[in-house]
Amino acid sequence: MTSPLKDKYAIVGVGYTPQGRVPGRTSLSFHLEASTQAIQDAGLDKNEVDGFICYRHFPPASDENDLTPNAIAQHLGISPIYMSQDAN
Amino acid sequence: MCRYVLISYGHNALSSDSMKQMLIDLAGDGAVYGHFGATGGYALAARRAMHEFGTGPETWKQIAMGQRKWANLNPDAMMHDKPMTEEDYDNARWIVEPLRLPDNCLITDGGRAIIVTSLERARDLKQPPAVIMGMGQHNPSTDVAQSDWMAGPTGARKSGEIAFAMAGITLDDVDACQIYDCFTFTVEITLQDYGFFQPGEGHDWLRGGTIEPGGRMPVNTSGGLLSEAYFMGLTPLAEGAMQIMGRCGKRQLGPETRTKSPEIILCSDNGGILQSHSSTLLRRL
Repeated sequence: MTSPLKDKYAIVGVGYTPQGRVPGRTSLSFHLEASTQAIQDAGLDKNEVDGFICYRHFPPASDENDLTPNAIAQHLGISPIYMSQDAN
Repeated sequence: MCRYVLISYGHNALSSDSMKQMLIDLAGDGAVYGHFGATGGYALAARRAMHEFGTGPETWKQIAMGQRKWANLNPDAMMHDKPMTEEDYDNARWIVEPLRLPDNCLITDGGRAIIVTSLERARDLKQPPAVIMGMGQHNPSTDVAQSDWMAGPTGARKSGEIAFAMAGITLDDVDACQIYDCFTFTVEITLQDYGFFQPGEGHDWLRGGTIEPGGRMPVNTSGGLLSEAYFMGLTPLAEGAMQIMGRCGKRQLGPETRTKSPEIILCSDNGGILQSHSSTLLRRL
């Protein structure tokens, strides 16, 4: 079996945040920081990001709204042409 | 078509009441029998595996301790300053038998993100690319209690076969693994279903520090979900990419940790109670 996808794509940036017990922060804030770091790590301008996938996630805290890719993209100030929420 | 794809995860899991919400939201009919949450489901699968192919805590201890040694080399890992001895493991409390506390992954405040683009564009960017040479997914069941594969093969079997066929390589070509490790048992069943060892032979395969610094098949070199931080499949996938890029400092695979310099790393993720599985093979350019 040969796949046209083989060796066509690559991971080119990784974004980290403070991790462990980091009180007083929303889940959204961690998405924003990790995303900003990854974009910077790859050496991109955020406006070059045209695809955005949220990894599968757990239910939100009782005092937060469930996050959507659109909500996170709005806060990042980007408008990707493709957005998706991974499930399970 | 997209040019640059951002994939992100963020969760205030440790400091908020989110995980409690999850227990409530996901509690089904099993709750009246005292069955809540992921640990119960994985404990069922692990218990079944003990019966079918003779695994158990002596096998899982080697996974917990091996990954902890990697975390001890990673200053960002939640368990960086906490070495684990055999006694620590043996004396740890049960969460759901047969799984003890160190068989369970961490709960973490934080986030992780990666950027994916075409190899053609990657060549012009800052970092050395972690090239995706193979991918596979297989999602065999919706409910562990109704499955006929509780002790494997899980989705790792077919998912792995697809990824390796796509890449045109075999297990012998893999230098290290980053395996989704929500529980120690998950690491064993995933490696077993990928074919690293026969059912029940994990204990012998792991013996002698196989997955540890200096070992012949390093596994979860950041400490993983068990000892670094929990960001779903982005913990293993990001670590796989960072190792291929050669950016891992004291835990870097190669001479620094007396291991093979990684040309190819196998990464996995699974969801639910072993219900969905994804495999990714990364290579150096």
